[in-house]
This record gives sequence, C-alpha cells and structure tokens, in this order.
Amino acid sequence: MKSLPSALRQGLIRCDECGALAQRGAASRPCPVCGSSLHARIPNSLQRTLAFLLCGYALYVPANIYPIMTVTQFGVGETHTILGGILTLIEGDMLPIAILVFIASILVPLLKLIGLSLLWLCVFYRWQVNARRWTLMYRIIAFVGRWSMLDIFMISILISLVDLGGVAQVLAGPAATAFASVVVITLFAAKNFDPRLIWDNQKI
Amino acid sequence: MNDEFSYETQDTSLNKKAELPLVWLLPICAFIVSGWLIYKSASEKGPVITIDFPTAEGLEIDKTKIRYLDVEIGKVTDININQDAKTIQVTAQMHHTAENYLNQNTSFWVVRPQVGLAGISGLNTLISGAYIEVKPGDGPHQHHFTGLPAAPVLKTEAKGRQFVLETANLGSLGPRTQINFHGIPVGEVLTQELSVHADSIRLVIFIKAPYDQFVRKNTRFWKDSGIDLSAGADGFKVRTGPLVSMLSGGIAFRTPPDDTVKDVKPEYAMFHLYDTYEQSTQIEYRNTLKYVMYFNGSVRGLTEGAPVQLRGIPIGAVTGISLELDAKTADIRIPVTVDLEPDRIKEINKQPNVSNKDMMSRLISKGLRAQLQTGSLLTGQLLVDLDFHPNSKVALHSNNSTYQEFPTIPSSLDQFTHAAQTIMDKIAKLPLNELTTEMNSTLKSLQVTSKAANGMLTDAKQTMGSADKSLQSADQLLRSLEPGSTTRHEIDKLLLELNQSANSVKQLTDYLEQHPEALLRGKDDE
Repeated sequence: MKSLPSALRQGLIRCDECGALAQRGAASRPCPVCGSSLHARIPNSLQRTLAFLLCGYALYVPANIYPIMTVTQFGVGETHTILGGILTLIEGDMLPIAILVFIASILVPLLKLIGLSLLWLCVFYRWQVNARRWTLMYRIIAFVGRWSMLDIFMISILISLVDLGGVAQVLAGPAATAFASVVVITLFAAKNFDPRLIWDNQKI
Repeated sequence: MNDEFSYETQDTSLNKKAELPLVWLLPICAFIVSGWLIYKSASEKGPVITIDFPTAEGLEIDKTKIRYLDVEIGKVTDININQDAKTIQVTAQMHHTAENYLNQNTSFWVVRPQVGLAGISGLNTLISGAYIEVKPGDGPHQHHFTGLPAAPVLKTEAKGRQFVLETANLGSLGPRTQINFHGIPVGEVLTQELSVHADSIRLVIFIKAPYDQFVRKNTRFWKDSGIDLSAGADGFKVRTGPLVSMLSGGIAFRTPPDDTVKDVKPEYAMFHLYDTYEQSTQIEYRNTLKYVMYFNGSVRGLTEGAPVQLRGIPIGAVTGISLELDAKTADIRIPVTVDLEPDRIKEINKQPNVSNKDMMSRLISKGLRAQLQTGSLLTGQLLVDLDFHPNSKVALHSNNSTYQEFPTIPSSLDQFTHAAQTIMDKIAKLPLNELTTEMNSTLKSLQVTSKAANGMLTDAKQTMGSADKSLQSADQLLRSLEPGSTTRHEIDKLLLELNQSANSVKQLTDYLEQHPEALLRGKDDE
C-alpha cells in the first residue's frame, strides 16, 4: 500500500493544539496561531509510552489479585476480587453480566496494554505492517480506554448507596485504586503514543 | 535506521534531546507499590492447615472464617470428604500470626447458633454464617487437626481451677451445668466420665477465679437441681435453686466458715457430690458400724436413708431394706441394714482397748433394742429407734448377711395391732347365735311387760287426774288460810286461846305436881 507523502516530508509541522500548519523550520518556535510549542512528532513518545505501559503492567497485577471491594454485612466483611466477582455472577446465573464485567474489567485493560505494547514494539523494531490496520487498532484503544472504568463507577456508586452503618457497608479495596490507576495510566500511554510513527517506519 | 524517511533521521533534533527520565519514576513507583503489596500478602500468608470435622454444616469455601477471640486468623479454602467417607476435611489458609497457635492441643470447632436453657450463644452466626473458632493449646507444632464436634466448655484460658466430683447418679447434670456458690454462677461442669469400675461418675468441674479459693477442705457440693421437696420423717421441706438450675439442673457448693485459706484444696481434688442439700449438711462420719436388723412386722414407710435414732438423737441411717425368703421354712423376713455412726456419741471415761463394736455389744447386752417408730403421722414415715428394753429377750435370727445382727423388738404399733388382734379373736370366739336367741326371747317378754306397763300408765293417768283435783281443793283451802283472811284470824285467835288454856292446864298440872294434896284440900291461899 502506497502511503501518501507525510506532512513532515513536505516540510510542514502541524500544531497539536490548533491544527495549524507551520513550516518545518519553525520547529523551535511556537505556533504562529495559538502560541503552543510545535513538534513534528510527540516528543519522547516511545520512551513515555513504554514508561506508562510498564507502570500499567505493574499495577495490573495487584488490581487482579487484591480485593476490589469489601462488602460488610452485619459486621462480617466479605472481600471480592474482580475475578471472584465474575465467578459469583456466573454462579448466580447472570452470565451476560459476568461476560460484560469480564470484558470491561479484565479483557479491555489487558487488551489495551497488549495492544499498546504491540504498537510500541512495531514502532521500535520498525515492523513492516499494514499501517492502516494498526492505526485503526490504536484508535480503538484510544477510544475504549475511557470506557473501561465500569468497575470503578459501580464501586463508587455502591459505596455511596450502601452505607447502612453496621447492617451493610461497601468499602473499596486496594485493587480498586490499582485498577483505576491502570485505566488512567493506559489512557496516558495511549495519549503519549504517536500513531504517526507507525507510518514513518513504513517503507514505501 | 536505514530508512531515509524515518522519524529519527528526519527530526534528529527532537530525538536527540535527552529528556529527564522523570516519566520513569512512575513505573518505578508502580513496581515498588505492587511489589510491596505482593510481598506483603505473600508474607502474611500463614500455613495451610487441614481440620477434620464430622459435618460441613454451615461451612462455605472462601466464606467461612477461622477466628480466635473474634479476630479473623484464617479462612476456609477447601472442603473435601475424607477417604473414610464419614468425616470431612476442611483446608484453611491461616494468617501468619496464627502460626503460634497451631499446636497439637489446639482445638477447632464450628460455632453455630445454640439455644439452650442456660442461654443463647452464637446468635451472630445466624446472619453471618457459621465460623470456626480456635482455642490455642500447647504441644508440638502441627498442621493437621481434628475438629471438636461441639464447642468446648472452656473457650478461653479463663483463670480458675478444676476439681473432680464423684457421684453415683448423673441425673440432669452434664457438661455446661452451672455451678453456684451462694447463688452466684461461678463455674461449669466440663466433662463427665464413668469411673474405671463403672460404680460412679466423675465430673470435672471448673471454678472461676477468685471463687476457686473457696473450695476448701470441708466444702460440700450438692445437686441443686429443681425443686427439692422432701417429705422425711421430720415433715415437709421445700428448697429451690436458681431458676436455671431448676430448669436444667445445677450444682451448688458451700464452704463452712471454719475453713481458712490454709485449707484451700489443690487443683483436681476429689469431692463427693451429694444428692440433696440435706445430705450435704450432714456431718460425714467415716467410722461406721454396719448392722442388720430383722423386723417382724411391715416396714411400710421405712426408706433407705431413714434415720436411726437413739432416744431421739440421730446416730445413723438405714442403708438397705430387702426381703428374704427361707426356702426351708417358707418364712419371710425383712433384713434392714443400718449404718451406725458411733462417733456421734461422745464417750466419757473412755476405756482403752475397747472398740466401738465391743461397746455396742455391751449396750446390746444392757438391753439396747431397735424398734420401728412412726416419725411423722402425716407422711407415715418410719424410723428406727434404739432404746433400752432391759426385760426383752435377745431373739437372734439365722443371720445370712455379713453384718452382725442387732436385736429388735416389735414396734409399739405392732404391739398395739397385736393386742387388737387378740381382742378381735376373743370376740370372734363368743357364742353369738345363742346370745341372739336369748336376747330375742328376752325382748319378747319385754314387749309383754311394756304392754302391761302401758295399762298401768293409763291407770296412773287417772290417778294423776284425781290427785290433781285433791290438790286443787287443797289449794282453795290454803288460799282461805292466807294471812288477813277471817278464817286465819279466827284460827289465830283459837290458837291463842288454846295456848292460854294449855298454859293454864300446865299451871294446874305444875301446881298439882307440887301440891298433890290440893286435890283434896283445895288451893292453899297463902
């Protein structure tokens, strides 16, 4: 597939903020329209993405092995991990919800991390791939990222709703923090990854 | 890198600029945090233990907790049925702090709600579900345990001491039976077991501190259960323990004030458990003499434990009443075994080398006899009374028992009934038939006589009528003679005159007596 000549090759730099095109030579100067600094590509994109990715991986482990919430009923606490919650849902004959939770809470963050890792590897090792598809993958990852906070939303609602003192109480566990962090960190990772690099590496 | 359009070659200036590795702090932090979390959870993981239980009732994988003093120290992770297919094995992940408790004598049991007369326990498990409780013990470290079927009585290491009670009959007692001291619950029965020879039951009891120091030398334990309604030879008595004891049985103890702190008994000291409060109040005489008494009459009303009195003072008790049949002579006898406590009798001028038995023999030869007496007319209870009957003979029976025989005399009631019997016999011998015929004829003649008497009575009535008339005329006569009446006046006058005439006659006679010649010569005028 033939790629069109990039803006960079034509000596142009697009402002990230306002989208105005500037001369490449003006890279050290701010954008003539909005005044923000101009970069041909996101600076240190690979390095930052890698850092966020590793961070995400590191947090993904405690997010899944630690209890995400503690349901206290009559003074007796019962802790739930994400996986444990899904198993409980399956046992309770709520397979669709279980699948939904599984996708939103386990699959999506994991796929995001793996997808971003693949993108990163692709750029770093200059894999010759179908740049269009990989860009599509990046878009999906970037879009889905903000929707994977389902668990956190549910827990935060439960905590505020189910607060009956000694009768019943829901408390967030350490995994909730880790999970939220994974989601946020992958958002950052996706944001810091510059998909244009995929195209840059493609041999025409 | 060879690519001329590559990002690096095209914009080297952007890539060359070495950025501060600030962004790398983030993954480092994340690794540290998650690494620490993983390390923490790994280090907090204690040993995995297995516990055998008879049933898995109420136990749930991942939900059932293992607690000690209501602190969670573990969680059930698996439940399996054992090879023998009779018990289950619970696998539990313990907290690392529980390591010290996992010793040979550590006991595990499942706490379930229990409702008993002594109270309700484990109520919280109704909503939270059952949990496994631990009581740490000593001994070597181990990871496999056998769970108790029920909670042990002593759940925690309470301060106090254990004692042993011996009783012949358990009654309504058992583990958890409350022990009261002046009405205060101070302990519980821990275990019960049959003694080696199966002749008694031993109860291990636990008395909480500081009450354990009141278990002293002369402490008496008794069964304080229910309403103690005793109808003894000395009347009715009602005694009740605390309500709980009334419902489910209980034990109480009492220490005489004479016992000092020095007499505190050591742990596992053995005590006898008396059946009633009454029994516990009796002074226990170890030195007893056993005798057998043969009573001729009925012993209805005589019970085991009935007192043996000497002139009204109890000196022993009946221990056994049986029935004997002499196969040869077909005689029925009632041997009554008694325990005499000679220590109750204070001896003065004590003789050395004279045993209690010898002394009793001397008393018997002096005429000491046993006799059944009614203790209470109301209940008809009998007691054995000892007294001196010097004139009675010692009538010994062929004694088959191992005890020496104590001579008896018939009871006063027996004597009375015997005398009554004799009288009745005599009455029976009377010729009643002849008597009745005679009496019949007598009665007939009496009937005739009464008829005659009847006629006489009619005559008498007529006589009475005429008598009445005579009396009426007499009355009239008397009424005419009343003072003030003319007749009376005339009579008075007449009487006066008569009196005068009598006087003059008297004078005449007097004169004539002195002067008889006057009849011839006439009155002498000088």
